[in-house]
Amino acid sequence: MTFTSLLLLLLAGVVTGTIGAMLGLGGGVFLVPFLALAFGLPMHQAIAASILAIIATSSAGAAMNVERRIVNLRLGMTLETTTVIGAILGGVTANLLSGDVLTEIFASLLLLVSFMMIWRIRQRGVHEETHQGGALAATYRDDSTGTIVSYSVRRVPVVMLISLVAGNISGLLGVGGGIFKVPSMNIIGGIPMKAATATSNFMIGVTAAASAFIYFAHGHINPLIVAPAALGVLSGSYLGILLGRRIRSHVLTWVFAIVLLLISIRMFLR
Amino acid sequence: MGICHCAAAHFDPNVFAIAYARQNGLDKSVDDSTHSKVERWTSIALRVGVWSSATLMVAGLLMVWVSGSTPSLASENLSPGDLLRKLFSSSVDGVTLIFSGLLVLMLTPFLRVLTAAVGFLAERDFKFVFISLAVLSMLLGELFFSLR
Repeated sequence: MTFTSLLLLLLAGVVTGTIGAMLGLGGGVFLVPFLALAFGLPMHQAIAASILAIIATSSAGAAMNVERRIVNLRLGMTLETTTVIGAILGGVTANLLSGDVLTEIFASLLLLVSFMMIWRIRQRGVHEETHQGGALAATYRDDSTGTIVSYSVRRVPVVMLISLVAGNISGLLGVGGGIFKVPSMNIIGGIPMKAATATSNFMIGVTAAASAFIYFAHGHINPLIVAPAALGVLSGSYLGILLGRRIRSHVLTWVFAIVLLLISIRMFLR
Repeated sequence: MGICHCAAAHFDPNVFAIAYARQNGLDKSVDDSTHSKVERWTSIALRVGVWSSATLMVAGLLMVWVSGSTPSLASENLSPGDLLRKLFSSSVDGVTLIFSGLLVLMLTPFLRVLTAAVGFLAERDFKFVFISLAVLSMLLGELFFSLR
């Protein structure tokens, strides 16, 4: 391991973290193939690095969003009961599978994510003002419109089931799973997009921690690889949020959806 | 002259909407002071975890850089047991610092869930104390079975 390699890993983290945050995908979707293809890391180590990076970005983002009360803390904690189960099962399964099989599953995920990205361009968030109350009901102030948004959560068991699957994908492949969780929280659970995104991001840290020690125990956490990558993704995510506020382009989404499609093909052919 | 403690200084233009939400039981997050406590504590726990871990990792990487010697391949392939043992040894090197930063990062979500449980307990919301403790026990179960 040379010092240049450490710098390259840091840079890889910054780039993937920035793109991930700009597209609202989180770093993992880009970091895992980058580490596996460009650095030739074993798939399990690439996934482990991504899991640690996810804990860092989720915790840093959630610290802000919890304070601003966009995160629905009670809903997040409730859904974590199933994401954690899913992630533990995912982590155990991943460590039973070979790197080649994991690569193929990851390539299939990228294929799905690239289609989801394009589908999401056409979607508008669903929001109906609801006043039924309930333990999971919440209110937050939307800073972009200056309005108070009140909502209650519908079909909690279905959303919990989807969270279980998202947790499983997270533990298995080292991605946050927000791209699947957020639309379902919004469409099925009736949670406004902003709260769904913030709450999903809040949960991702605990979900990732649920499989982190499984990867650690199998010797897949290499401090000299994971630390620069995680620090890079953390700083890249801040940069991505700043850039994302200035640049909002469907062209960008299309470009990276095609990039993911190409990476997916490359991983299948590996 | 002095510091103004008047209400106007803290006036929130959405105060009526918030009051409406509170009256109608719609609001569990913008609620009374105890509710803001659980959120503040959780937020602090997350900040402390992330920044102390980032500091340890940066310090470790700098130590590796300053020492001038590129870490040996052996230190890259340290087993989990070796890494944990190095943590309690008297000699601290860059890799150990980096690893302790990673460990703090991995434990930050545990701290966050524990803080939420204490916060919910402070506001006597026992249902969510139970939920938080359920999540924490699953995480601790994973930790225990992984490191056993």
